[in-house]
Amino acid sequence: MKSRELKWALAVLAIVLLGYLLPFTVLTNVEAWYGSFLLWTVLAVIIIMINYILSKNWGE
Amino acid sequence: MWWTIAIYIIVSLFIAYLSRSGKQTNMTSYFLGDRKLNGFVSALSYSATTYSAFMLVGLAGLTYTGGVGAYGFEIIYFMGVSLVAFFGPRFWLVGKKYGYVTPSEMLGDRYKSKKVAFVVSLFSCLFLIPYSAVQLAGVGYLLQGMTNNAIPFTTGVIIATVLAIVFSYIAGIRSVAWTDSLQALMMIITSTVVVLLIIHGLGGVGEFFDTLKANEPQALSVPGNGYFSFLTFLGLTVPWFFFSLSNPQVSQRLFMPASLKSLRTMLMGFLIFGFIYTMVSVVWGFSASVMFPDLANADLATPRILSSELVPPILGAIVMVGIMAAAISTIDSILLTLSSLFARDVYGNIKKNSDDRQQLLVGKIVIPVIAILAYLFAQSNVSLIAVLSVASSAGLLVAVPAIIGAFFWKRGTAAGVLTSVTVSGIIVILFELFKIKPLGLASGLWGISISTVLFIAVSLITKAPKEKADEFLTYLKTELKRNKIV
Repeated sequence: MKSRELKWALAVLAIVLLGYLLPFTVLTNVEAWYGSFLLWTVLAVIIIMINYILSKNWGE
Repeated sequence: MWWTIAIYIIVSLFIAYLSRSGKQTNMTSYFLGDRKLNGFVSALSYSATTYSAFMLVGLAGLTYTGGVGAYGFEIIYFMGVSLVAFFGPRFWLVGKKYGYVTPSEMLGDRYKSKKVAFVVSLFSCLFLIPYSAVQLAGVGYLLQGMTNNAIPFTTGVIIATVLAIVFSYIAGIRSVAWTDSLQALMMIITSTVVVLLIIHGLGGVGEFFDTLKANEPQALSVPGNGYFSFLTFLGLTVPWFFFSLSNPQVSQRLFMPASLKSLRTMLMGFLIFGFIYTMVSVVWGFSASVMFPDLANADLATPRILSSELVPPILGAIVMVGIMAAAISTIDSILLTLSSLFARDVYGNIKKNSDDRQQLLVGKIVIPVIAILAYLFAQSNVSLIAVLSVASSAGLLVAVPAIIGAFFWKRGTAAGVLTSVTVSGIIVILFELFKIKPLGLASGLWGISISTVLFIAVSLITKAPKEKADEFLTYLKTELKRNKIV
């Protein structure tokens, strides 16, 4: 795994950890759409963007 | 309702028939579409295979029961699809060079052991046939409920079994991929329209969430009503995070696209489809919470929504048939993959000097055999079948260390794979069978932990296939660089 891939792998790992930890800690008392629902939505969009960047050169 | 089912069957059979192209006289052609699938069809088929009837029934019901934690569960799975961005090109490149048809064949070759291919494929069958059986039973219950018992449970299961066999058999992966694509498109469009109609009927997005917050504020946080404790969430999500690597019916798809560009279209297409479909399924479950707060059984959430006054009856009927089609599109892909595993890795390793044509013949014979086995399981009330089905995501997880090791660790050995897969696989089954959760952790968490430790420990004290590992990894290093992937 080269440094470019490793960098993005760590980014994905960090996002996954945020997806596990934030809803069960700081957001656990936020009972509204802008709590865990919004967080997981934003993280999913970031994941789509990372995959877009990671696969940008495939087949070029 | 009958006519919607009839139209679905006729159109699907027509598409399956049209999908035949050229002579399919070898394993690669029949099971991998000659490695020439275009990106768009690959994306839709990958989506249809991944998302079974679970989404609009199970996930919506889980949202109804446990609130927003169900969304988090599905999003963690969604994040795991990023593994395709790292492993997809590697699978594709070695598949093309060495002619692999199945993921277990790849492991057997990489670790220089036919036993590895044999054992990994047997474990896949052990978990995925019961999983298919439960999907078939789901179709039986769905048709029974949809038609007020005009289609009895057994007839419904037979209809699903026959359709799965026909879609798999007509043109192998081509007929599966094209009927999958029809199902995926139909499902994403109709279910999105239903959700938009419901939200509009409930006063728009703002009012929808305000009502939900007023009626059930706990539905918007975790652990919420206590359903999704952190350990429950962890135990549910970890096996699904690795789904794209651990389940052969989807990892085999990484061999099929025509080019790396098609592979990229498959990945990005799936991510967009999955994001929309996840959102739709969860909002669907929230809608049921707003409209029918006191259902006795969460599985009734979807039928109640579809029969509500906010949804036109014709649209409700189409979505119901779409849910049935979603189950069948998952079953036929599993059927095809398991047939290829049996033909290539079980028969191919038992029968010395079996050629490609013989393996294809065996694969075609095995398709109806596995389907009938799943049908018999669906009809039976054997508790072990339900246990194996529930354990399937956790059980298949035990091969993940060996798959990661194949690409990133040249010291991995066949003994390490065999020990880690068999020991931790049996432990997962025992934990599920006796409902044991040591330290409160689910079977999947123990499975992947024990499997990882055993794979590393046993590999370190046994001899690695150095020559093969060097050749395999050097080839990948060169090609990944040449294709600007690393």
